[in-house]
This record gives sequence, structure tokens and C-alpha cells, in this order.
Amino acid sequence: MDFGLDPAILQFLAAPVAASLIIVGIHAYLGLHVVERGVIFVDLSLAQIASLGATIAVLVPTLGGEPHSAGVYWMSLLFTLVGALIFAFVKSHRAKIPQEAIIGITYAVASAAVIVVMSKAPGEAEHLRDMLVGNILSVQWSEVWLTAAVYSVIAAFHYVFRRRFLEISIHPVEARARGVSVRFWDFLFYASFGLVVTRSVAIAGVLLVFCYLIVPSVAGMLFASRIGPRLSIAWAMGAFVSMLGMYFSVVFDLPTGATIVCTFGVVLTVMAVARQLLLGRL
Amino acid sequence: MPSAGLRLVVATALAVAAMGRMPAAGRTAPLRVVATTEDLASIARDVGGDRVAVVALAKGYQDPHQVDPKPSFILEVSRADLLIAVGRDLEIGWLPALLASSRNGKVQVGAPGYLDASLNVRILEIPTGQITRAMGDVHPQGNPHYWLDPANGRRIAQAIRDKLGRLAPADRAHFDERYSAFDQRLAAAEVRWDRMMAPFKGRKLVTYHRSWPNFMERFGLDVIGYVEPKPGIPAPPAHILDLIGEMKRHAVTIIVVEPYWSLRTPQAIASQTNGQALVLAPSVGGAKEVTDYVQLFDYNVGLLAAALKAARGGV
Repeated sequence: MDFGLDPAILQFLAAPVAASLIIVGIHAYLGLHVVERGVIFVDLSLAQIASLGATIAVLVPTLGGEPHSAGVYWMSLLFTLVGALIFAFVKSHRAKIPQEAIIGITYAVASAAVIVVMSKAPGEAEHLRDMLVGNILSVQWSEVWLTAAVYSVIAAFHYVFRRRFLEISIHPVEARARGVSVRFWDFLFYASFGLVVTRSVAIAGVLLVFCYLIVPSVAGMLFASRIGPRLSIAWAMGAFVSMLGMYFSVVFDLPTGATIVCTFGVVLTVMAVARQLLLGRL
Repeated sequence: MPSAGLRLVVATALAVAAMGRMPAAGRTAPLRVVATTEDLASIARDVGGDRVAVVALAKGYQDPHQVDPKPSFILEVSRADLLIAVGRDLEIGWLPALLASSRNGKVQVGAPGYLDASLNVRILEIPTGQITRAMGDVHPQGNPHYWLDPANGRRIAQAIRDKLGRLAPADRAHFDERYSAFDQRLAAAEVRWDRMMAPFKGRKLVTYHRSWPNFMERFGLDVIGYVEPKPGIPAPPAHILDLIGEMKRHAVTIIVVEPYWSLRTPQAIASQTNGQALVLAPSVGGAKEVTDYVQLFDYNVGLLAAALKAARGGV
């Protein structure tokens, strides 16, 4: 087997590589919040809510009916915002029910609702799922640029209010005690988060986006406790694994998204073992 | 957060570096042909002979509706002189993105190197008049599984012959000759298949998905229902009960299933109706011994004739 890369493949990988690095950039940061908040599956849940919105929109002829029309996009965005409202609202009820339970329930119900809605669709709906869930290998430059623009705006927003966002994620009780409207900021967090996840899933698919969100930030936590170093490790790890996974995908000719996900698992395991060995030696 | 921007710069640099290396467009003898399915690839090999180098994208045991593109697909399409697609929206979930990624102008839809194999074949189940959602499961462009009728295989071969002749005019006589040989081989095989299936004209059966209308029409069989009218979406219980009732009423015992669907529901129905779930190959490569288009029918006709014969004894 030839382990070198065919130079011709590089030009086709450029857009997927660019897309994955953009996704790493914002997801590794958002993942930090998500892990701190203990809402690990919130992205799957929001993505499913967005896809429910898109599915409904495709089936309503007045909204365009085409999977890539503007009506479908706005509908999925609207659903995402409603989802963000639900999560922000649920959290502020400091009840016995863990937020993760609500997120799981939302995920299951939204997924099932997609199936129920599709069962009422004319024939083409069977392909709808493939069209809503992206494949990182097929990403086009136009999508990359648009995503970069959208994520830059969201990243700038989070950068400006970074202290506030970190505060409500890590010390929500103290923040509330000082009179911060945690519910409002939670909504802003989940809304911007939902915006990012909806786009990322359309480009890279659900599984891969979940990995980009959670794995790098867990890798960061293995080796650092302060936010700065954690983020740096997360970015480096995410970028490295994206490239490595794509390399494996080309060399062994495997489906790209799934290969990157598996590479994330392997690299994280190696990092965890390395950490144990380092600690054992100390 | 400056990092997203930084990463973008890095990515752009990478992309620009990669752009510099375009593959050499070597116009060597054989035409590079990419077919979306193994059926089309098999026919293209028959017609093209050594004047073409054919690869298939979707494997015969995969559902051609749902294919996870691999890096090699982009490379193959990017280098292709001719892309042959089944069309009728069969590959709509994956081919458009793949074509865009390949950035190969020769094989884009409408370009001389793109062949929609469905254009002159006999398509079934084309809805007439206004399509409304009340009609249920409707393919606006008709049923895309048309290659399962040998007469359509012949028409696909004609379309490929004509297309190859236009792309490589010097080899036109070669393609004509190869087409005639394929045509004769297919005609001889059709006599064989018709003889095997003749005793079973008018027999009723059930199929998992609507993949078999052309096949069943060709051999005079009657499909009275489907296990999952919408693949991947479990059929409502009432539908399964209706189906079992229909099967009992008509003494139907055979449920034809494509290899990529779970046998659980078909077997549950079969156990209720004293029948059997019969896995047939919807495409070349759908079973190990099916390596070309003629063998596809040899395999399916053989299995189906044996099952129908056995079933007759039971009724």
C-alpha cells in the first residue's frame, strides 16, 4: 500500500480541510462551555430540532419544497431558536430533573417527529435525510466562505462578551447572585450555539460535529485546568486529528467523516494513556 | 476569538498550494468511464471492451440511494472522460455534490461526457397529471430501477455505444461490433430466462421496496404489495396487517428483499403467511456470483423460479 498522498487528491481535500479547521476553531471553544455546563448532548438535540424544522419546511410547498431553499433554512433556524429558548428556560428551573434529561428527551422526540413527518411525505422524502446531513468530503468553497463569515461574526460576539459567557457557564449561581440575567445570557448562548451547530451539521454531519465539539475540549481538560491552555490544546488536537483523519481516509480510501470520528477516538485514547503514564512517573 | 480567522488563513494557504498541482490531462487510448452503479459499469465494459477503463462507484450490495462518498470517488470522477448515471433521481443524495467536488467540466450534467442512462429506456410508474401529496409515495420521474428489465439493458447499451462513438469516433466500429455481440448474448439469455419463468406467468408476490417493477413486468409477475413503501421508515402496523391479509387472500408466499434491508420484518410477515423472504440481487455485485449484467438475471431468475416452483407445491 502506498502511504504517500496522490498529489491530485490534495486539491479536492483543500475545501474539506478548510471547512474542518473552521469548524474546529469555533467548536473547540463552544465545547469548553458545553463540557463545563454538563450539557454534552445539547448539540445533537439542537441539530435534531433544526432538522425537524427543515423537514417540515420541505414538506410545506409554500416554503419552497427544495431542501436547499431559503425557506427551509429560515424554518430550521426558527426551530433552533425555539430549542434554545427551551434549554435556557429549563435550566433556570433549579429542579430535581437534570438538564441532560430534558436534552435527551428533546433529542428523542425531535428525531421521532422527523420520521413521523417523513412518513407523510411523497416519495422524495426518503432522500431528505441525506440532503440535510452533510458530508465533509463534498463541501464546496462557497459553503466554506459563507460558514467562515457566519462563524467570524459569532466568534466576535463571543470574544466581546467572553467573560460574561464563561461566568454563566462555569459559575451560574454566583452570576445570578450578582444580578446577571442568567436566563437571557443562556438564551444568547444556546441561540448562537444552535446557529453554529445547524450550519456545521449541514456541512459535516451529526457524528463529526459532535466529535468536534466534545473531544478536543475533553483532550484539553486532560492536560490543563486553566481556560487558555485548555483551549490551545483543544485547537491543536482538533486541527491535528482533522488532518490525520483525512489522511487515513485518503490512504485507506474510507468514508471521510466516519474516519475522522474514529481517529478522534484513537487519539483521545492515546492522550489519556499518555497522561496516566506521565502521572505515574511523577 | 481570533483563531477562526487565523485558521482560515492557514487553510487558504493550503488550498492555494494544492491548486498548483493539477493532474496531467493525458489523452491516452482508453476512455476513462465512471459509472454510478455496477450494472451500468458492466454494460459499459461489454460495449467498450479494451477501449474503455470502467470503474463503478456504488457497490452492488449497497443501496444506490445512499452512498457514502470516499476520496477515491472524487478522484475517479475528476479524471473521467465519461460519467454514466442511472438518473431519475436515484443518485440525488450523493452524486450532485460529488460532481461539484470533482470540478471536472467534461462530465457535469449536460456536458458531452455526462450520460443519463435513463433517457431512452422504458420507465414505469411515471405519475401522470398533477402530482399531489395525497398520491402517497411518488417518484415524479418514475421508478429508477429500470435496469432490471433486459430490454432496458439493451437500450442502455445502445445509449452507451452511441455516447462512446461520439467521444471516440475512431473506435466507433469497435463499439458497434461489441454492442452487437452483447445484444446477441443477451437475446440468447433472454430465451433461456423466458423459458424458465414461463410456467409462473401471472403469479403474485410481495417485494420489500419498489425496486422490481421492470423485472416483474418483464416476466409477467404481479406485485401485490410492499413491506416498507418508504424505505427506512417503518411501515405503520395497519399496513403490515393489510399486507398479511392480502398475502393470505391471494396465497402469496414469496417476499422479495434487497440485500441491504433487514430481513426481520419480511421474515415476521413470512412466518404469518407460511412464506419465505427471498433475497435477490437488485444489481451486479449484489451477490458474490453476480459479476456481470447477464449473470444478474441468471441469478435472480434461477432463485425466483426455484422458489415459485417450491411454493406451487405448497398451495
